[in-house]
Amino acid sequence: MFPVPKTSSKYEWQASASIETIKLRAQTLRQIRTFFDKQGVLEVDTPTLSSSTIPDPFIESFQTQYIPLTQTMQNNIYYLHTSPEFPMKRLLAGGSGSIYQISKVFRQGEVSSRHNPEFTLLEWYQVDWDHRQLMQQVSQLLTELLAPFIQLDETVFISYKEAFQKEFGFNPHTVSKSELIKCTEQIGLADVLNLDEDKDRFLELLFSHKIEPSLGKSKDDNAYICLLYNYPATQASLAKTSMENDYPIAQRFEVFINGIELGNGFNELNDAQEQKKRFTMENKLRVEAGQLEVPLDERFLECLYSLPQCAGVAIGIERLLMIMSQKKHINEVIAFPFEKA
Amino acid sequence: MATHNTNAFRSGLKLMIDGDPCSIVENEVVKPGKGQAFNRIKIRNLKTGRVVERTYKSGESVEAADVIDTELQYLYNDGEQWHFMHPETYDQMAADKVAVGDAIKWLKEQDMCTVTLWNGSPLAVTPPNFVVLAVADTDPGLKGDTSGGGGKPATLETGAVVQVPLFIAIGEELKIDTRTGKYVSRAKD
Repeated sequence: MFPVPKTSSKYEWQASASIETIKLRAQTLRQIRTFFDKQGVLEVDTPTLSSSTIPDPFIESFQTQYIPLTQTMQNNIYYLHTSPEFPMKRLLAGGSGSIYQISKVFRQGEVSSRHNPEFTLLEWYQVDWDHRQLMQQVSQLLTELLAPFIQLDETVFISYKEAFQKEFGFNPHTVSKSELIKCTEQIGLADVLNLDEDKDRFLELLFSHKIEPSLGKSKDDNAYICLLYNYPATQASLAKTSMENDYPIAQRFEVFINGIELGNGFNELNDAQEQKKRFTMENKLRVEAGQLEVPLDERFLECLYSLPQCAGVAIGIERLLMIMSQKKHINEVIAFPFEKA
Repeated sequence: MATHNTNAFRSGLKLMIDGDPCSIVENEVVKPGKGQAFNRIKIRNLKTGRVVERTYKSGESVEAADVIDTELQYLYNDGEQWHFMHPETYDQMAADKVAVGDAIKWLKEQDMCTVTLWNGSPLAVTPPNFVVLAVADTDPGLKGDTSGGGGKPATLETGAVVQVPLFIAIGEELKIDTRTGKYVSRAKD
């Protein structure tokens, strides 16, 4: 896939998405709202600007400044949200019941055929559900949305472990780092990472190069919805962890179609102390990598004491539209992508 | 040492890979929602022409190759080297057989060529997309046959052999597409 912005428009001011694709977006959003209305899931609206952000070292937030009219207060740094997760969980903790939101989110440094720094996220949470139930619903919603547009084979549920065993023959949860290094050498990916880097970086390298491209794509090139679950506990992020056999796993899943990552979901962690521990560790990694430390969202951490059992997932709308309209470049489904914004 | 960060990667960017100058053919950003991002590139080795794949962690820097394309006029071949001249400065430059490569069969004196320089020395020669060359040898032309059906080989003045229509005769000037090595038409005067 060429990361060349595809623009069929004659003039610089014109949209890079066709009118058909712009209509497809409107129709898809309407269909999503109808889907959740029928389920009794409430649409909510949370702030785009926040005083804190996610410390994940691989997600970089846009920063801006609040300037008071009278210069008596100190100027404050605000972040554009990278996902509405924290305030949505504050609503859940306050007793909202199941909720969804369709919002624009912002991430630094992400421009490619599948990335625009500003993109649309559908995020929803189902109270009392776990990630397994939510995976079923993701499959149901995506099937409803995609079926009129593309031929879909039956949804596949596969664990992270099975995916690695199928491709490489080892269990990613128990494999040693030296085995992982040997594996990267064998497939021509030696020297990409430093040998002292975390085992997870090696797993991510192997995953993104050898597993992800074929997830959701059958041998005869048919598309299907692929739900990959039970990530290593070290990649838990905001998910609960549990023991499987003799190793810990994260109750986290991702969804892929045609080798494209569409979304990520969790059985949501509601242990404030554990979440704070993970955030603090991530901030430490940021500092070590020369990135800026970010202020932790104390209101979010505090709400976790009241967060009910719930599972949540976020789906990238532009990528969904790409699959629906069979477009190769994200710019073909955004009226005015980053280069034209 | 000049370097390029992965965020500057785009097709055509020149990098030093394993000691050889290379040009990016394709750059793909592999950035998961969570986890390490990578740039996966396809690169053409400008010395060998081979295309290979490489992966870098996003944010890393890679040594830049001092490679530039110049438009030079082909002058003559002295038996060992092919001599080119800059049309304005009249600076001359000689390329060896390796640099000239496949362009050898299309080089006609006075034609403008793209000469790729690496650290100031010719690395590769690209002939113009279209050249006009005279037929040095071919079977006798069939008079009146302008149907274009069928064909025959013709040897051109540079030694290149191309398929031409049956009506082409020795001495005629032909327009050739050097990218495909195919006959286009008779040259128009």
